Amino acid sequence: MKNLFLHIKRDTTKWSIALLTIVLFITIPVFTIFINLFYGPGETWSHLVNKLLPNYVSNSFILIVGTSFLTLLFGISSAWIVSRYKIPLRKTLEWLLILPLAIPSYITAYAYAGIFDYGGVVEKLFNLKIDMMNHFGLIFVLSISLYPYVYVASRAFFLNQSSNIIEASKLLGASEKKTFFKLILPLARPAFIGGLILVLMEVLNDYGAAKYYGINTFTTGIFRAWFSLEEPDTAIYLSAILVLIIFVLITLEKQQRKRIGYFNATKNHKRVQRESVTLSIRIIFFVTVFIPVLLGFLLPLFQLLYWAYLTFTEVFTSEFLSISLQSLLIALSSAFVTVLFALSLLFFAKWNRLSIINMLTKFSVLGYAIPGAVIAVGVLIPTLAIDKWVVTIFREYFNFKIGFILNGTILALVYAYTVRYLAVAYNPIEASTLKLGKSLSEASKLLRKGNIETFFKIEFPLLKSAILSAFILVFVDVMKELPLTLILKPYHINTLAVKAYEYASDELIAEAALPSLFIIFTGVIPVLFLNRLIAKEN
Amino acid sequence: MKKIISILVLAVLFTACKKEQKKEEKKQEEVNVYTHRHYKADQELFAQFEKETGIKVNVVNAKADELMQKMTVEGEQSPADVLITVDAGRLVRAKNKGLLQGVKSEFLDKTIPSHLKDVDNNWFALTKRARVIVYNPEKVTPEELTTYEALIDDKWKKKILIRSSGNIYNQSLLASLIANLGEEKATEWAKGMVANMARSPKGNDRDQVKAVVAGEGDVAVVNTYYIGKLLNSKNPEEVKAGEGVKIFFPNQEGRGTHINVSGAGIAKYAPNKENAIKFVEFLASKKAQEVFAKANYEYPVNEEVAPSELLKSWGGFKEDTLSLTKLGENNKKAVLVFDNAEWK
Repeated sequence: MKNLFLHIKRDTTKWSIALLTIVLFITIPVFTIFINLFYGPGETWSHLVNKLLPNYVSNSFILIVGTSFLTLLFGISSAWIVSRYKIPLRKTLEWLLILPLAIPSYITAYAYAGIFDYGGVVEKLFNLKIDMMNHFGLIFVLSISLYPYVYVASRAFFLNQSSNIIEASKLLGASEKKTFFKLILPLARPAFIGGLILVLMEVLNDYGAAKYYGINTFTTGIFRAWFSLEEPDTAIYLSAILVLIIFVLITLEKQQRKRIGYFNATKNHKRVQRESVTLSIRIIFFVTVFIPVLLGFLLPLFQLLYWAYLTFTEVFTSEFLSISLQSLLIALSSAFVTVLFALSLLFFAKWNRLSIINMLTKFSVLGYAIPGAVIAVGVLIPTLAIDKWVVTIFREYFNFKIGFILNGTILALVYAYTVRYLAVAYNPIEASTLKLGKSLSEASKLLRKGNIETFFKIEFPLLKSAILSAFILVFVDVMKELPLTLILKPYHINTLAVKAYEYASDELIAEAALPSLFIIFTGVIPVLFLNRLIAKEN
Repeated sequence: MKKIISILVLAVLFTACKKEQKKEEKKQEEVNVYTHRHYKADQELFAQFEKETGIKVNVVNAKADELMQKMTVEGEQSPADVLITVDAGRLVRAKNKGLLQGVKSEFLDKTIPSHLKDVDNNWFALTKRARVIVYNPEKVTPEELTTYEALIDDKWKKKILIRSSGNIYNQSLLASLIANLGEEKATEWAKGMVANMARSPKGNDRDQVKAVVAGEGDVAVVNTYYIGKLLNSKNPEEVKAGEGVKIFFPNQEGRGTHINVSGAGIAKYAPNKENAIKFVEFLASKKAQEVFAKANYEYPVNEEVAPSELLKSWGGFKEDTLSLTKLGENNKKAVLVFDNAEWK
């Protein structure tokens, strides 16, 4: 015991304290929810467990398995092809592949129902009606709109992969196929698993698409307990269990990864040169890469464009433009703050020597696993306590009436986004940091450069594209975010996602198309920008 | 570091004070509305109210459940004056949670029928929607249809389309059956409906109508409101779907067709209570009710106002005058019955 205290005293630095402060700040909402685990669920718990949960859990399980398989398939194959081979329109495809992420998955779900359902294009052209609204349809829709998480993470890895090991593998007589499956794929694991975890969290979080397709999932259970059975305790209890499961999964993966140990031994590595392939293979590759773009982006986009054309005059107003601007500003500032926190967490943890606190860091990326509505409550409870306290203090001591300084302001909203999307920023940057290895920063330290100087001179420039990817992912996510925004947004502010939801919830799906298109549009621009940047670096 | 923090704190406090000062200078009369409704017609009415009274309407749009959660957490500090929802059950829930307060208004007393408002005047219905049976006229004649209860007859096996039990309109319908017939009969009904469903419940009310037209089933249970929306859709396919079905008002021989409402309640801690009452009175007034009736395919609650031409063309009907409070009281029971009947 005494040893432990000495150990803590010895290893505590300013970084430990800074890290602890940030971790606490970010995890307040999560802990607010966790505390409910100890209070236990409400009285309808046994009803839920007996009647509903078996079905909800098995549905969620099917979705997880299905979407894992499909997103990995789409994500890795396309990432590998565009980073390794010369195929037609490669540069265009490279950024097109990210774009499905810009469409909220529930909008994609509506679009597909529209395409295949009664009176849809497919029925008209081929006289064929396909029922999308089932497990397979949902797995398909979720995979096709979420695979970019895997794609982005894998591509960043493949592009930065040194070509030495591939050459070595070939020199040793391994075929292209063997090199990929035995060498590249295992090496890329931290990258695509990071992407996959994001996918799975989105899947577990999805409410809109699953609800519309009539598939009850674990999240349906949370909403049913909360709103239909009127037991927020049970709902939060369920969320807490969900969070626990995800936390265990992440930890298991980390443990396993640690055992393998990833680092890049070669320092002056050459980048992978894209290879030419025969025409037939080129065509196969092109089609493989084009399919996810077509299904995930172009097809739903055309359906949305058609709907927007039908409803344009009604929806497009000056109010609409101002909402677009507000959305944009909120998403930009939230993405900035989130990336800042992600970087601080990563590097403070690196500079800190007290391992207990580093373990706590894992808690701060849990927000992504919790439904937005639950996060909102987790934010609402503590911020309101502060607000009420401040209001009272000003009234009692200064005889001065002030309004809430957190609730109903942008501050609470941005804070909630940060809590929710920290993982989105943290994972890609972490993956790239792992690849960076320790040798560079250690060398810099040997040269008596401080942590901060090392960061700005060495790590930041090397991580620039990962940081920008993180920024864009968060930006796009915030643009799409719905339940949390609905609860925490200030009076006079509106977002495009809220607008789209208002229409869709009133079954005015065609009217929801225009705000959705704007969300997509604002997502496309930064993606283009990012791509140019990566291209320039190469 | 310390310096930065103290500057930040000062900055935040300063902006907060400044905001408050601005408010004091203006002394603008206002009313804060938490609403689940988000229709163009509503926005126009709010603007009209502003113009007539000079009272500014601040709107927070979200799902009713979330708004109620927000009000609960905000407690006494809640800025909400009026809560508007699209389901009576939720208004009852808000009252039971202590989020609303009773108000006195002669105008509302005489304008709104007693089954359409709270006994303690905590809330008032503003518009009505009927939950009806629509049928494919090529396969079904209106003589074959009678009541909701008759839908569990074997004759309708694999022919009924209805959405999931998570939907509040279905919950309210079942709650009305529980209140009128008792829990046992209601359970029997839910089970019978599940047995007769043409497909596992999915999609929204519009999708049920489309499925009838596409031939997946013969009849569907939906809100009149959505038929109006379909018929006036910008999408020609939707108009075709709306035209492809006919409306039947069930239970006309007995208690009448189940109706649901959207309505407004006065928040317990309303900082602008007088304005809130004025606001709700305005929404129940003849002028506003005409706008509701025209724009949104809803039935007005103010009896002086006639429904729109389209609604008139469906014919008049007898409505179930069960107190809406009963829907709220039986809502949770209804959810449990649905689960026991394995209605998805």
